[in-house]
Amino acid sequence: MIVAQDPTLQDFGHDPWWLIIAKIVAIFVFGLVMTLLGVWFERRVVARMAVRPGLNQAGPFGLLQTLADGLKGAFKEDIMPRTADKVVFFFAPTIAVICGFTALSVIPFGPMVSIFGHKTALQVTDVPVSVLLVFACSGMAVYGIVLGGWASGSTYPLLGGLRSSAQMISYEVSMGLSIVAVFMTAGSASTSQIVAAQRSGQPISFFGLDLTAPGWYAILLIPSFLIFCIAAVGETNRAPFDLPEAESELVAGYMTEYSSLKFLLFMMSEYVAMVGMSAMVTTLFLGGWRAPAPITTFWAGANSGWWPLLWITAKIVIMLFVFVWLRATLPRMRYDTFMRLGWRVLLPINLVWILVLAAIKVLREDVDSTSRNLILAGAIVAALLAALLWPSKKKPPAPTLEELAKSRPAGSFPLPPMDLQVPPSPRARRAVAEREPANVGAAPEGEQE
Amino acid sequence: MSLSPYVPIIGMFALAAGFAVMSVAIAPFLGPRRFNKAKLAAYECGIEPSPEPIGGGRVPVKFYLTAMLFIVFDIEIIFLYPWAVSFDSLGLFGFVEMLLFIGTVFIAYAYVWRRGGLDWD
Amino acid sequence: MEDLSLPKIDYAAVAPMLILFGVACVGVLFEGVLPKAARRVTQLVLALLGLVAALSVIVWQSDTRVLTAGGAVAIDGPTLFLQGAIIVLGIMALLLIGDRAMEHGGAFVAQAAITVGSEADRKQAVKEQGATEVYPLTVFAIAGMLLFVAANDLLTMFVALEVFSLPLYLLCALARRRRLLSQEAALKYFLLGAYASAFFLFGVALVYGFAGGVEFGTIHDSVTESTQSTVLLYAGLAMIAIGLLFKAAAAPFHVWTPDVYQGAPTPITGLMAACTKVAAFGGLLRVLYVGFDGVAWDYTPILGVVAVLTMLIGAVLAVTQTDIKRLLAYSSIANAGYLLVGVLALSKDGLSSTMFYLVAYGFTVIAAFGVVTLVRDADGEATHLSRWAGLGRRSPLYAGIFTFILLAFAGIPLTSGFIAKFAVFGAALDSGEAWLVVFGVVTSMLLAFPYLRVVVMMWLSEPGESTPTVSIPGGLTAAALVIGVVATLVLGVAPAPLLDLTTSAADFVR
Repeated sequence: MIVAQDPTLQDFGHDPWWLIIAKIVAIFVFGLVMTLLGVWFERRVVARMAVRPGLNQAGPFGLLQTLADGLKGAFKEDIMPRTADKVVFFFAPTIAVICGFTALSVIPFGPMVSIFGHKTALQVTDVPVSVLLVFACSGMAVYGIVLGGWASGSTYPLLGGLRSSAQMISYEVSMGLSIVAVFMTAGSASTSQIVAAQRSGQPISFFGLDLTAPGWYAILLIPSFLIFCIAAVGETNRAPFDLPEAESELVAGYMTEYSSLKFLLFMMSEYVAMVGMSAMVTTLFLGGWRAPAPITTFWAGANSGWWPLLWITAKIVIMLFVFVWLRATLPRMRYDTFMRLGWRVLLPINLVWILVLAAIKVLREDVDSTSRNLILAGAIVAALLAALLWPSKKKPPAPTLEELAKSRPAGSFPLPPMDLQVPPSPRARRAVAEREPANVGAAPEGEQE
Repeated sequence: MSLSPYVPIIGMFALAAGFAVMSVAIAPFLGPRRFNKAKLAAYECGIEPSPEPIGGGRVPVKFYLTAMLFIVFDIEIIFLYPWAVSFDSLGLFGFVEMLLFIGTVFIAYAYVWRRGGLDWD
Repeated sequence: MEDLSLPKIDYAAVAPMLILFGVACVGVLFEGVLPKAARRVTQLVLALLGLVAALSVIVWQSDTRVLTAGGAVAIDGPTLFLQGAIIVLGIMALLLIGDRAMEHGGAFVAQAAITVGSEADRKQAVKEQGATEVYPLTVFAIAGMLLFVAANDLLTMFVALEVFSLPLYLLCALARRRRLLSQEAALKYFLLGAYASAFFLFGVALVYGFAGGVEFGTIHDSVTESTQSTVLLYAGLAMIAIGLLFKAAAAPFHVWTPDVYQGAPTPITGLMAACTKVAAFGGLLRVLYVGFDGVAWDYTPILGVVAVLTMLIGAVLAVTQTDIKRLLAYSSIANAGYLLVGVLALSKDGLSSTMFYLVAYGFTVIAAFGVVTLVRDADGEATHLSRWAGLGRRSPLYAGIFTFILLAFAGIPLTSGFIAKFAVFGAALDSGEAWLVVFGVVTSMLLAFPYLRVVVMMWLSEPGESTPTVSIPGGLTAAALVIGVVATLVLGVAPAPLLDLTTSAADFVR
């Protein structure tokens, strides 16, 4: 039986040049294909959730629709507004796409395999700070959006770009903090090492109980996982956080003045970023390319050879499904609630969680067990006391209708009687009765009957 | 032959850049060109277009505030990363130091929160 | 992974700084959680308690002579003496800052960001109390100064420089009256200060290139032993000196001083004139005496020229001033020149006399700005000199106090100014820097003229229509004034205890 071979950092940087190029091209094509299929997937899933058939014209299951749209878009007129800053307007769409693709280069897709006699990892490259590279790329991508909005020389795109930058930097803070817990647990900032660290659970003892901590950080570090997922949606400007392109307020946000291939590049960058973020979530929290737990128990070879490609693609698709699901389900947030969520909820929770995690780790390693139990008990008691004694702000009870009526100044308009019961209109009743067949099975109207 | 592990990142960057720049560069040649004055004006619906003033005009101050808060916390995060990676060898001392550091930044955070710096009207 | 070795920290020795940084942080927290009405008293008491606690730790630790925190901080005689001086002067400045008796809401604006002259601005000028953030900011600045005089390597010094500079830039912009002038002053100070910090940092980089380290001990060793080209060393030292001389307000890096002193709220001007000067010269002393003493022969002539220039510019331009705050600013520039004379003695006497001069000057200058806060009319402080005409008739007590202060500045015997000048000139003479002393004496006589002009104006003119009244000072300002005047007098009459103290403290550890 072949055992999965985890690459170490020393395994990178030894590929011959043709292998590097092959890998780069393969990942690039992977990104392109995932974009094309991602758009199709999104439109199909959203359609299904809205109980309509969705794409079904171009190609089998409408698979070629994205390609057709892309080709059509390429042959549309390329408009450059008169007030635009020509150079920046021209280059802004490229920035977002470049950043999206560059981030894909450090995603680990599998273990060591042999390609034409060369042992190499299924990963373009890995460096000790590769998570930071991804992070930097997602941060740089905002330049494309904000510059595109600014260079358009018109109001809606500028607002969209500004919103986008404020939104991205707000959520980048939460995202960056949630990675800290992963670094702390894995002891490394390289993607392949983080995947390797999620190989198996660590034994922990808790008040004398011996347990095995789960390997996946999604379970072990669940607050970080949730915050990272939320922040990832915010970073990629996806619904319900798609405020920069809120069509009800800003037309199309930063993309308003763009047309033709430039517009398509912006669209593409969004989907590439989505794929990249899904891959990042998979790598950091969902065990990377490793097969999920039940499969490995009856099939030991699942983590070796080329099979991991299947697992990671499946995980990415599942994450993409979550993105689409959110979009189909949730309404867009208001901007102030959105910013409040980022700064007032996610940030403090994250900081406290990091400190708690660090405290737990320090307790496990540097403190002997009796004093550890004492400290734990003390912490629990303190938390309970704090919860009990927390000064709860009691809102004054809302004034009743009678009080409101009494508080009106003298000489106000007369009020109708408060216990006035409006009898149901006989005409409305007839209309409902006539329309009855239309909503068979719906809840009965009018409780008064 | 062994290249630095950073080289493939540059390769990926170059490929993506080539693709993207090619796309925006050929766009004007693929599509038609039909001149129309309204088409080149800034997009606004219904009302007289009010183009962005020269030099960008005024931007609400809250964006600057958000940017400054971001810098504060981003720098905090930058300090947290190396600490997190070498957490095991730093141990209790590192924990206490980081507690102090985060605590200090948290005070500033509490101040900003209470004084309305996080309100987005 | 190799084990990281953790630096040993002598917590007792660095306790004053820790206390002040902690107090400042708690102050910021209080700003967030306390109701508006309770803030001022709480903040003032907290800040004063913190300063007193730090001062008592310094007194208790007065025999400590250690390098701690991995060699980054040196706690030795000059450090402790200067830290003590900064804290005492800081307490006086804090008393001035905290006073709200003369003006409704104090000397500080409530909302510095409101557009000047707008409706909201007029409303806040009448109704709102001053911002209470000034207390934590002041404590931050003072704590940074403590670290600055204790820093034993250039990087710590740079961090400390920023820590005490940034709050000062902010504080300068918070004046309640003449807000545009105040904001302009803050912006000038900030831009030039950032420039000077950049120079300092470049200098650190160059010196690092020469010495392979930023600790003063390492620099000292490589200055005496290294056989490398000394271009990096001299260029680096020059740039570091520019950064420090800027803070010390020495010519030709003095141009910010009059504008900033005039525009800043007067209590903050007092803080800058006293505490920043102590900190800047403390840093300069350590850099020149501990790090670069090996090249003393090379920098003495250049710094000597700077000192002469500073004294001349300060004295000559003081003669032409018509605004009392600008006059005091130029006087402060000239005093920076006298201090440089003491520094350039490059001896134990030079060190002790400079430290004595710093303390003596600090007490006097804070008292001077304290009097400036008192002379007011309906538009706030009346700083134009013509308005001071006849003040002696209106209010003999405060005119008398101010006369005494001016005489101390001029270096008349029986005031601390005389003893201080005598000490630095004596130290310079002993070290053979007679030419500096000649310039010092000449400019002192020159500088006496503008002081005496003010005195004559106050006493010998008839009070006119526009002569403002002198407000009755609140308890805090009165306390600061009494401390300043008594110290000026006592140091002039019986300077021996403080002179002994400076002499016994005048030993750097390396």
